[in-house]
Amino acid sequence: MKDILTIIFRLTVACLLAGAIMGGAFVLTNQAKRHNAELNERQVMLSLLGYASVKSAPASLKLYPIYRYLITAKGGEEIGYLLPGEAGEAGMTLVILDLDGKFVGQRPVTLSPEAAKEETKRAAAIPAALGGDAKARYADQTIVVTEGGQRLAYLLPGRFPGFKTFITAMLALNQDFSIRGLEIMESEEDPGLGGEIVQKYFKNQFKAKTLEAMRKIGVVKTPLPDEYRRALEADGGTGSGGLSAEQVAKIEAEYSGKDIYALTGATISSRSVTEGVRAMVQKFVYRLGLLDQALKEQKIAVPF
Amino acid sequence: MATDKTSLQLVTNGILNENPIFRLVLSMCPAVGISTTVMNGFMLGVAVLFVQVFSSCTISLFKNVIHPRIRIPTYTLTIATWVTVIDMVLAAYMPAAYAKMGIFIKLIVAFAIITMRLEMFACKESVTASFWDGVGMGLGFMFGMMSLGLVRELLGQGTILGHDVLGFKPLLFFVLPFAGFFCVGLMMAFFNYIELAYRRAKRA
Repeated sequence: MKDILTIIFRLTVACLLAGAIMGGAFVLTNQAKRHNAELNERQVMLSLLGYASVKSAPASLKLYPIYRYLITAKGGEEIGYLLPGEAGEAGMTLVILDLDGKFVGQRPVTLSPEAAKEETKRAAAIPAALGGDAKARYADQTIVVTEGGQRLAYLLPGRFPGFKTFITAMLALNQDFSIRGLEIMESEEDPGLGGEIVQKYFKNQFKAKTLEAMRKIGVVKTPLPDEYRRALEADGGTGSGGLSAEQVAKIEAEYSGKDIYALTGATISSRSVTEGVRAMVQKFVYRLGLLDQALKEQKIAVPF
Repeated sequence: MATDKTSLQLVTNGILNENPIFRLVLSMCPAVGISTTVMNGFMLGVAVLFVQVFSSCTISLFKNVIHPRIRIPTYTLTIATWVTVIDMVLAAYMPAAYAKMGIFIKLIVAFAIITMRLEMFACKESVTASFWDGVGMGLGFMFGMMSLGLVRELLGQGTILGHDVLGFKPLLFFVLPFAGFFCVGLMMAFFNYIELAYRRAKRA
């Protein structure tokens, strides 16, 4: 009996000590970790848009995030888009559409675009703007990229199931919704097999695929043609295959209507990525169409 | 009972006589699952080295206050703490290395080799001896993983450290998880044979 008391006591002390050490390490490192993640995300976004570093991007390039929320109110479910206000304005606008995409209303949200980057601040400001007992649940964000006031591209951060766990990816679309680039942010696919999805010869296959091609894209299990592989490897880096940028673009354009060539020994991972990207593109095009229509009909001024 | 080995003997003991993979046959999960490339082996080796050294020193330092009946939970707790701390520090201050190693570090909590070394060595010996034993075991694990990775990467993908050396892929089979069993077995036999041959040559 005495033994069990000492055991309980010592184990509790050991757990508390371990907890204190881990908690201390978390407090000390969390700030730097978040900062790194943000820097990395920004770097990936710019490289997808075609700029090598943060410095080489022109000042006229602007990134406007759109946050999508699911709103549960008395009337049922609605979808809210948190948009940045017209240039020079401090606040943001919440545009509310119903599930079929019909305009329901708009509310001003007192939140600066800088503060809106933090989810906790948004979560506090949105219910206040909605009023009543409406609840808002964060769904996802998309980023509209403009250069000199003209829309240039869209950046879609997304998550879809892979072979065993979720894959986080960042997708860039051109103005005509053809794919500008794909980057895998986080994945836990098997190293050497599904892990190859991060390699250029797989992820660059999505490049230049048009919206039409994406709608019915599939995966083929035939080997990757040699010339296509060389072009994919050379794309967006020091060309190892001795191909110029024009040659790369030409070969990629040739294959832009084709299906995705599956990775050897990782058909499921290849299929998951293809299916995930297809779903991301289709949903985004549908939602953006409805949002743009509502913005145009209601004459809501936005900076993009 | 204190060990009478010098620090150098402790380190070589971990690499050769008591190599975690080829001799003690511990931590077979990573040896089979992750040793597909040399770089994977190196990364995991570095991570194990750090966790082993830190955990060995901690347990050795507190060996007199750990109740013998709860020693295994205490070891697990110590390992988990160090793994978490190393994980967070790497993520914060070395993001480039973390991008490559992050997935491996979290796996270490369940490695048999570390718990076994704490139980067999660190809880009886001085802090200095435990430190050198931890270094030896970490290096031995790294050596085992890297040599396995070399064979599997060369035969499976035709590359070494990502550089194409063969120009073709001889046997994709070697990249798949179950090939790890064959590989570990064959390498074990190979190292035993070398030792036999060495002993025979010494005697003659």
